[in-house]
Formats: sequence, structure tokens, C-alpha cells
Amino acid sequence: KDKKSKIHRPLTKIILRRLPPTMTEETFLEQVSPIPEHDYFYFAKPDPTLGNNLFSRAYINFVNVEDIFLFRDKFDGYVFLDEKGGEYVGIVEYAPFQRISKKKKKKDPK
Amino acid sequence: PETPVQPKEEEPPLHQFIRKILHEDLQKSNEEKILRLMRKLNWDDPEVSAIAIQHLAGGWRVRASARRALARLTAELAIWQEVVAPAVVDTILEEIRVTMEDPHPRYNQRRIATVRYLGELYNYKLLDSRDVFTVLYSFITFGVTNDHSSVSVLDPSDNVFRIRLVCALLETCGAYFNSGSSKKRLDYFLTFFQNYYWFKFSDPIWTKDYQFPIYVKYIYQECLTTLRPKLTLFTSWQQCKDAIDELRQTLYPELGEEEYDNEDQGDDSVND
Repeated sequence: KDKKSKIHRPLTKIILRRLPPTMTEETFLEQVSPIPEHDYFYFAKPDPTLGNNLFSRAYINFVNVEDIFLFRDKFDGYVFLDEKGGEYVGIVEYAPFQRISKKKKKKDPK
Repeated sequence: PETPVQPKEEEPPLHQFIRKILHEDLQKSNEEKILRLMRKLNWDDPEVSAIAIQHLAGGWRVRASARRALARLTAELAIWQEVVAPAVVDTILEEIRVTMEDPHPRYNQRRIATVRYLGELYNYKLLDSRDVFTVLYSFITFGVTNDHSSVSVLDPSDNVFRIRLVCALLETCGAYFNSGSSKKRLDYFLTFFQNYYWFKFSDPIWTKDYQFPIYVKYIYQECLTTLRPKLTLFTSWQQCKDAIDELRQTLYPELGEEEYDNEDQGDDSVND
């Protein structure tokens, strides 16, 4: 199942963690745009059941590996503000799960 | 268009509906019917899709008997809605990470259920064995000092819960790591896991009056002997350390950088 080529494929999907819980996809995109060439983007709101660990997060799969480092340099440690001025220090990491969804969607006949 | 923020008290009916069918109604017998309902949701609506994903990732919310059905439903739904597979797995991995960063006991039951659910999702091929091992190695490395004189807030001396998490995950899907590369990965992992166990077990915090929890010892032993009945378990921390050194020396060329990757799982930051 696990092919050799897979093992040596570079990591391209990153997660930007610890974003403000009230942040929306729109405000996130406003703040980080332009995101270098990418083929996957997913913004997730916090899980309300995780008590005091409420953070939004975003996943990006970059097309060019070099862009990851530029993005990391810019946003790892970047202070994001929520609308009340609360400060949230973003963390950029490789996503532990590198799989992404394909762009083309099968139409569900339902 | 900006809509005013809804008052928090009342959950929108559609959210309640998704929660009810996935977390209350779902069982083996009605899975087909609930899958059809889930497929009929308006997945183009980002809010609906976000709520559905959150609940599909909520394997800890369902009864243990319904956990497998939820995993299977998620896998089947993922065929039609491709956002589902990565988003659900990412959500679960983030929860696992957050609850390692904040290892409060209030999450314990949930953490066990969540890793079991992740194991079920592996059984339905939503993730690879590699991904399961990434999680397994994170349990035994994230914030782990491997040094009794330097105590980690992320992995306090007398917190042995991560041993239970490893066992819970291996109990759910470890039996499938029985051929090819996944079998090899499990063999290597079991050496590192034993090392972690002995690191915890030999911590000087344990005394005659404050003993290492015996039930954790049993869970650990049973987990290993079930997976590898012929395996001779190490009986000291030093034995584990020697075995790891040997593994590195004899197998490293063949392994390439793989094992080192795994070793470094605790530090996932984009460093170089």
C-alpha cells in the first residue's frame, strides 16, 4: 500500500494553528493574502467542546516547496488579532496528515 | 452579506438534526438510511459542511457500539464529498494534539474514544498506516524528555495516560499491521514503545506507597502480547536503550531516513 515514491515525496501541506476563535475564513484570507500557489485550502472553526483550547486553524497545500519557507517565515509567530484586539500567535507546522482532496468533485446523484 | 451573529442558546435546527442522526440514531442497522440523509445535505453551504465535518469527526460522542458505524459512514460519505476525508482526519489529529498540549484529565475518556475512532477510520482506509504511526510516535515523543531529571509539563512523571492511548489505538487497528511495511513499522514502534513504557515505569516518582498503576501495566502487557505473542518483552529500561541502539546500527541503512522522521514526530515545526 505504501509505495516507495510516497515515502520520499516532500511534505507540502501545512497547518496554521492557534488562530483567533472568532476568525472567519474571509478575515483570514484578507490577512494572509496573497497565498502563494496552492491546490488545497481548508479553514476550520474551533471545536467548541475543547474548553479553553479554542482556536481556528487553516490548512494549505503548496504547489512549490520553497513557498512553504517564505510562508513560515512570515506567519510562524505572526500575531493575529481578533475583533476585540486579543492577540493570537500563529504557529506554522507541517500538517501531520498530508492527504488533500482533489479539486474535481464527483457530483453526488444522491 | 453580513448576518447578525445568532444568539448562542438555540442551535440551528439543521445542526441539531445532524447531531441527532449521527450521534443518537446511528447504529449498524440504519447506517444506509443515515448515509442517504447525510448525502442529501447541502454540502455547497460552507456552514453545513463545517458542522457535518465536526460531527463526523466526533467519534468520541457516540456510543462505543456505534463507533464503527460512524467510521464506515464517514468513509462512504468521503467517496461523494471529497472534502470529508482530509477535513475529518485533520480535525481528529488536531484534537489529539491539543489534548497533548493540555493533558487535563477531563479529556481522558474522550481521548481514548477519539484514538479508537481514528483506528476505525484507518480500518476504513481514510488514512494510511504511516499516519497511524505518526500519531503513535507522537504519543511517545511529544514533549517527552527521556530523562527523569528533567520533567516535562506536557508529559508529567506520574501521568501514564499516553501508554493507554497507544494501547487503545493499537487494540483498534494494530492487528492489521501484520504484513509488509506496516508489520515492520509496528515491530520498530514496539521497541520504541517499550522504551517509553520503561522510561515511565522506572521514574523515581514511583515508590512503595505511590506505585506505578498496576492496571496500566496489565493493559500494556496485554496489548503487546496480543499483537506479538512470540515477542519477549524487555524487562528494564537499559535493555530498551540497547535494543534501540542496535536497531539504529543494524537497520538504519535499510530504513533510510524514515525512522528518524518518525523519531522527530514530536517536533513538527517547519524547521529546515
